[in-house]
Amino acid sequence: MTSALEVESHDTATSQTAAARTDEGIDQIFSFRELARIDEALTMSSRETGLRFTLYVGDLGTPTRARAEELHAYSGGNTAEAVLIAVSPGQRVVEVVTGSAAARRLPDRACALAVLSMTTAFAGGDLVGGIVNGLRQLSDQAGRPSVRHGH
Amino acid sequence: MTVAETILVFAGAPLAVVLLLALLTIGPAARNRRPRYKPGQPWSHEPIWYEPHPEGTGHGSDHGDGETTAIGSSLYGERHGADAAATHAVSGGSSSAGGASAARAPRPAGPLGGARGTW
Repeated sequence: MTSALEVESHDTATSQTAAARTDEGIDQIFSFRELARIDEALTMSSRETGLRFTLYVGDLGTPTRARAEELHAYSGGNTAEAVLIAVSPGQRVVEVVTGSAAARRLPDRACALAVLSMTTAFAGGDLVGGIVNGLRQLSDQAGRPSVRHGH
Repeated sequence: MTVAETILVFAGAPLAVVLLLALLTIGPAARNRRPRYKPGQPWSHEPIWYEPHPEGTGHGSDHGDGETTAIGSSLYGERHGADAAATHAVSGGSSSAGGASAARAPRPAGPLGGARGTW
């Protein structure tokens, strides 16, 4: 069985360089196989729709909506076309925030539907499955961009 | 057939088969046990923000994505400098300190939409 990413540490860090990625504790929440699924889902849905999907997993504080909207402003690129999926498993809250341009292609009702399918999976303990399915629903709803900018 | 033989054949053999199947079923799961998320348990991990890969694959891209055109180096092209960390798909930066998000200036995107759900 091959692993999706290299997980074995070769201890390549020197005094000049930072620790290798495999030495960092990025493996704590999701397995590398799950990370690969999230990575592919984010990349493919962003590429298909032209929107920028980012995923935040962590505590959102209170009120969660205000914090999620604050985070959305930091999501990079053109934030009007950004879609932030913020999941706070500790608070059992998922927030989907769409920028002004993204909201035209992803109406709140479509987001609510994706959120519903995500929460169903989360309630069963399946974080990654819910995220991937939610991304799929959102990107299906957004469809392809009418004009590809730049190309 | 003695009593000992009978017991061995009719009780011992099925038990051995059952034990073998149980070992094959439970074994792999017990070996790589990862703390699985269960609804209701506290979430003690650091916040983490995942981003998509940059779109440009390096061929005459005007987005500034991907400066490397060599095929062997990376499918997505490589970035250098300050935003190199930001473009990594699995950027493990915390939201408040360090990493990709702190380097960015906030860009509020007008009226926001979206949805909220709890479970």
